[in-house]
Order: sequence, then structure tokens, then C-alpha cells
Amino acid sequence: MPYLELDVLNNAAAPIVGIDLGTTNSLVAVWRDDRPVVLKPEGKSGRIPSAVHFPPTGPPIVGQKARAHALTDPRSTMLSIKRFMGRGLKDVTEDLETVPFPSSEKENGLIQFDVGGRKYTPQELSALILRHIREVASELLDGANVYRAVITVPAYFDDTQRQATRDAAKLAGLEIERIINEPTAASLAYGLDQRKEGTVAVFDLGGGTFDVSVLSIEEGVFRVLSTSGDTHLGGDDFDRALVDYALERMGPDAVKAAADPAFLQGLKLSAEACKMKLSSSGKAEFQFTSPDHGISWRELITRETFEELIDPFVKRTLDSCRRALADAELELGDVDEVVLVGGSTRVPLVESRVSEFFGRKPHTGLDPDEVVALGAAVQGHVLAGGTREVLLLDVTPLSLGIETMGGAMSKIIARNAPIPGQATEGFTTYADNQTGIDFNVLQGERELAADCRSLGRFKLSGIPPMPAGMARVGVRFSLDANGMLTVTAKEETTGQSASIDVQPMHGLTDGEVEVMLSESYEHAQADFDARRVADLRTEIGMMIRATERALGQAGDALDRETRMEIEETVALARSRSEDGGLDEVQAARDRLEQSTLPLAALLMDSVAKTALTGKKMGDV
Amino acid sequence: MRCSVCDEELTTPLGCAKCGTLHPVAEHPDPFALFGLERRFQVDQKALRKSLMRFSRLVHPDFFGEASAETRALAERNSSQLNAAFGLLSDDYRRAEHLVEALGGPTSKKVRDMPQAFLMEVMEWNETLEEARGEPSPEALRDLTKLHFSLQSERGHLIAAIEGQLTPLPEHSSEVLENVRRQLNAIRYIDRALHEIEELRLERASEDKACPTSNSTS
Repeated sequence: MPYLELDVLNNAAAPIVGIDLGTTNSLVAVWRDDRPVVLKPEGKSGRIPSAVHFPPTGPPIVGQKARAHALTDPRSTMLSIKRFMGRGLKDVTEDLETVPFPSSEKENGLIQFDVGGRKYTPQELSALILRHIREVASELLDGANVYRAVITVPAYFDDTQRQATRDAAKLAGLEIERIINEPTAASLAYGLDQRKEGTVAVFDLGGGTFDVSVLSIEEGVFRVLSTSGDTHLGGDDFDRALVDYALERMGPDAVKAAADPAFLQGLKLSAEACKMKLSSSGKAEFQFTSPDHGISWRELITRETFEELIDPFVKRTLDSCRRALADAELELGDVDEVVLVGGSTRVPLVESRVSEFFGRKPHTGLDPDEVVALGAAVQGHVLAGGTREVLLLDVTPLSLGIETMGGAMSKIIARNAPIPGQATEGFTTYADNQTGIDFNVLQGERELAADCRSLGRFKLSGIPPMPAGMARVGVRFSLDANGMLTVTAKEETTGQSASIDVQPMHGLTDGEVEVMLSESYEHAQADFDARRVADLRTEIGMMIRATERALGQAGDALDRETRMEIEETVALARSRSEDGGLDEVQAARDRLEQSTLPLAALLMDSVAKTALTGKKMGDV
Repeated sequence: MRCSVCDEELTTPLGCAKCGTLHPVAEHPDPFALFGLERRFQVDQKALRKSLMRFSRLVHPDFFGEASAETRALAERNSSQLNAAFGLLSDDYRRAEHLVEALGGPTSKKVRDMPQAFLMEVMEWNETLEEARGEPSPEALRDLTKLHFSLQSERGHLIAAIEGQLTPLPEHSSEVLENVRRQLNAIRYIDRALHEIEELRLERASEDKACPTSNSTS
């Protein structure tokens, strides 16, 4: 990343920011004056909409402005990108209905969106958001170069989703100091704020994901006992339920129009607005107009109706809570405090159901939108060597293993095992003189490999020929502090190490990340060039107008040769500024300037003369 | 054991509390040694948790954020070894299994059977489980709860028996180890059954509260 190193002067002060890269909104926080603070423009919210808008020309627009375009120009605006991270098309069929761009899948299941002929992976789209966050943070930190970050992911994110997030950060020119889990980050902010110890359940319902983590806080150590959740459950689903309800009420024309992603996206935004109103009042108007489809609809929705619609989703969150408690080997009564995190916990039904379930009122003292970013900033402070007071001990959310003969999942690391962690399992050959073993690395809780998620495949080759069952292959799984997996294998009788090349599913290879990085650099250069050409064009236009006026005034005083030279360069500048590249336009402009120097001199002269003779310039 | 850098007495071979140096250990270290414990079946779990937190503060990668890549890698390694050892020492089954195998006793592949007296009970338990897997009737649920209690109590007896046989630690390759292995096999069966009961209960809890009109629980 050569362009990162340009700003070496600021390195000493380079802060480690905490970024909450959310489905709907993102936030960035930093440690300042002994506490974490969310970076926000004076008097405004720190929320940065996780939206990307593609204007007809020029670079993509991200954040607040992009979000505004989602209403006016839904056909070229992308929302909820996080739901596609590390997923394949078949995982996200419902989410794709509101995406206004055609989608396709690469061989390894990586999704690509076609935006006017240019293909974007979810990683690249997230990178656009992260790049924007960097710029916002840098601006709010008086121009400091922001390139080191702790980034948060849902605790229940699997390895492919974590990898995708890491790659997005790389593409955005960020150095990821640590990936931490959102509920754990929240507990850190909570723990520091409240100075309390004990067993805490963090209930984190965001725009697109849900996590519940059970932690013990003791002597500054935040130890996660268990985590559970659903990376496809959140406020988006509440909106969606409201959309389905509205479509039913609006009639067949609307149902037909819903095949248009732009229509559906607009409807979803109206549903979201209605949902938010329902959090503070008993009824709210659902209002939607689509001039494209000649549809205008409004209806009063009661909170009761809304709660009926979202009830199944809220129940699913409670199932996860039961699971997390069972995994932590705890009873409901063992939980000392419940902390609500994520914008969707503002929905009254969510809060009341959680209270009912845990039999206690949840802690709501912290802003549920900000608490994750704040925790990430705390972790950034720890990593920068700022404090040894707090320590996070987290776990891996899902079991990891290998597919064995017969298609079974053989677990090597169990879910809720602490990270960093490692485990080794022995495998052997099943045929005489077998020299290679194919491994399918799996993540999930199901017994059958086919029901688990495949993280990738690799082959151990170079096993010396021996009878079946004699080879001793040790497969080692290592989980780092980011919860990310590395697999190594060794044939133990010969010490032969495996040549492992894991092909990530739904992911990017390191090589692809490199290529994209250089491309994005080229894109940045191209965008810069385009702006410069536009500026030059304007400048040339002004120069030509000035030259023509001057020729009219003092042209006759020029010698024939100079006059022809000027006319020639004017014509050239005119044509170059229409179709030339940056260098050509720049050269034409410079030549124009050069050729008009005698004219300028003459003009200066004549100004002097007119001053002397008392004539006005215009009279000459 | 002393720190090779500052000569301080080490509380864990993984790192020094005084000078903060990380020390590399063997690829498969003795989990007891990592926690500065004597090799024995009984482990004070509360003290073990305290040690985990204390030692994590010495070796966790979070505290080496600004260190060299090499040191950071060592922190990852030492931290995962500490966690792996904690996982083993905090689990009575795995702790006993580790001791049996370390003393040259049979693995679960060599001795596969369970204590004779146990087999009759297993058949009875299997029946209850089989019934519970079917239609969720109140009786089946009650039977499941009863089964849960008897399994837990049986597990307690087995652990107590194992503890007796492993305290003090028997001779290397002692016949006692074979017996412990059989009891461990029985515990493995119980743990699987307990796991299944838990799964069934979670499933039931979810179904009990399911809204009749709900169609989005997939």
C-alpha cells in the first residue's frame, strides 16, 4: 500500500480508532482524555449511513449523502451491504430482492454486483464505506492520518464473514489491529462505564445481525463464557415484515411492482420510517409514494399490528438466549445484568420480551448505537499499549472441524472455545499407497458435513507410500485473537509438512486483494485525473475567451507569425480539451499560455499607452 | 523455574511477570506445568480461573500490540497454549483422560467397553431418550427431566470413583488405568445423552412459545 506511507509525518500521532461497521449505520470512536468518544461533527450524530450511491459520472458517494439518494435515486444506491459479506447468492436470496443491481457469483461463490459494467464484490463496497469512515475520522481528528483500526464484527460471524471484513479493511487501506466481537466490545464500554463485576448478558440486535453473549467481568478481565446468535436477523427483518404486510394491503398492482428492486427498496425505507415512529408512539402512518409505478398509499399502523408481525423474529432472539445460557452452564438467575445494544433494541417489544425472559429490567444507560464503537476504541487503546487494566478473553462462536469419510463433520475445536486457541487431530489414509489427502474445512454445529459451512478445501500431498491406515497426519487448527482460522497439516512419521492452499469460499484470495488494491489506487488516480481535466477545461475556456477579446483589441499590432501561432494554439486547446487525456490537455493549456505571452505583453503596453493618452481601453 | 532474562521465579513457564518476557514452550506442553500445578486429578477450579486471568495478563496478544511480529506470534502461541491447557484442566473428563494416557493407560480406541453394571442402565436410558425424540408429550418431558437427574447423579458417582483411583496417581501402566478408561467411556456416553437432552429441551422451549401463525422460523 504505497500511498499509505506518503503521510509519514503523522505516524507518531496515528491513533487506533474503533470502527463499528454496521448493516445500516457505522460509527467511529477513539480514546481521548481517558475515555472513549464517538467522533461526530459539531452538534450532529456520529452515525454514518452504510450506504453507497453511484452517480452517473464520477466516484461513488458514501454515507449521509448516499443515504439521501436511496430515496430519490434508489436505482443506483446500495444499502445493507453487510448482509452479503462472506455469503453466496443462495444464502441471501431475500436480501437480493431490494438490490437494484444485477448480481452474479464467481466460481468460489463470491457475489458480485454489476454497477454500470463495473463489478463490485461486497468486500469492495464495504471498503468504500470504510474509506469514507477514514476520511470522516481524519477530518474530525484535525487531519491525523487514520489507518490503524480495531473493527467490530457480529460475534456470530463465521470465518468467511470475518475474512471478508478483513479484506474490505485492507482494500480501504486500513491496518486491522484487531477484529473484535460487537457484544464483547459493548461489554467493555459497559464495564468501564459502570465499574461493575459479575455475570452480564449482552443482547445485541442491530440492523441485520443478532448476537447474545454471556460474560463474566472480574478484576478487569472480560471473559466471554458463551455466545450465540444469528447473522441474518435484525431490524431489516422488521422492515421486511412491514413491507410484506403493506404489499398485501396495497393490492395486486403493488405486488407486481415489487419485482422492481427500486420500488421495494423505497417501500422498505418507508417501512423503516414507520417502524421508528412506532417505537415512541402507539400508532404511526405508513406512507409510500412511487411515481414510477403510479402508486400512492398510506395507512395507520398500530403498534399492536407491528408487534404481531415481528413477534416470530423476537422469539428467535430468545431461542439464542436460551442456547447461550445453556452453553455457559448458567441458569437465568445467575445473570446479574442484561445490557441492550443495537438500534433495534429500541423497539418496545424487544425490550419487554428481553425483560420478561431474564426476569429483570435491562441496563439502558448507554446509547445502544454508540456502545460498540466505544468498546472498539477501548480495545484500540489497550492495543496501543495505553492500559493493561482491561483484558478481553473471547471465544469462537461456531465449532470447527474437518469432513471425514462418509461425509461426517469431525469437530476439532468446539464452539465457545477460548481464543486464541489451537487443537490438533490425527487422520490417516484409507487406501494403500495413498500419497495425498483432501481436506474440507468446516464450520458449524451439524453432524453432516453437507449441513455445515465449508470454509475451504486443501490437499496434503507428498505422503510416502504405505499401507492404508499407517500414515499419521496431524491437522492443526489455530484460531488467532481475531477469531480467524489457520490450518496446518503434517505427516508425522516422515515430518512431511503439507503444502496447504486453502481456497476461501465466498472470499478473496490474497492475490485478488492485491489486484483490487492496485486497481482501487488506479481508480483513485483516474478520479483525480478526471477532476484535474475538468478544471483545466474550464481554465482553457476562460483563456480562449480572454485571448479572443485581446486579439480583437490589439491583434492588429501583432506580427503575422505570432498571430497565426496564437490562432493555432487556440484551435488545438479547443480540440484537446474536448477529447484529450490529462497530459494532452495540460500540454495544450501550457502551449496556449506560452503563445499568448506576446499578446499579453502588447496588451500591457497598450494599457500603459491608453493611460498616457487618456483613452479608455474599450475605445482602442 | 526461573526467567532466562531477569532470573525471576516463574509462575508459569509461558512468560515472566516481572520483566514481561514471553518464553517459548514445547509444542505439546504438560497442561499442569503451564499452570504451575502438580500433576493430579483434583484441581481447584476457582484457583484455576484466577490463574487463567493472571497468566492471560502476561501472555495475551492484546498486550503486545506494538511489539515485533515475532513477539506477537509468540503471544498468540503462548496464549492459545494457555487456553488449551485451561480447557483440559477445567473439564473433569478430559483431565482424567489426559492422566490415563500420560500414565501409559489405554486410549478409547484400545479399550472400548463400559463397566458391566452400567450396560443395563444404558439400555433403559436409551428407551427413555427414544420416546422423548418422538411426539412431545408432557410425560415424555417429565421422563426427560428425570433422566437428566439420574444421568447427572450417575456421572457424579463415576467421577468420584475415578478420583479415588487416580489419587494418589497409580503406577505407570497400572491395571487400574484400564478400569478408569471403562468408566471414562461410560461418562462419554452420559455426556452425549446429556447433550441430546439439552438439545431436545432447547427445541421444546422454542416450540412451546412458537406463535401458531409464525412461518419465518427457518
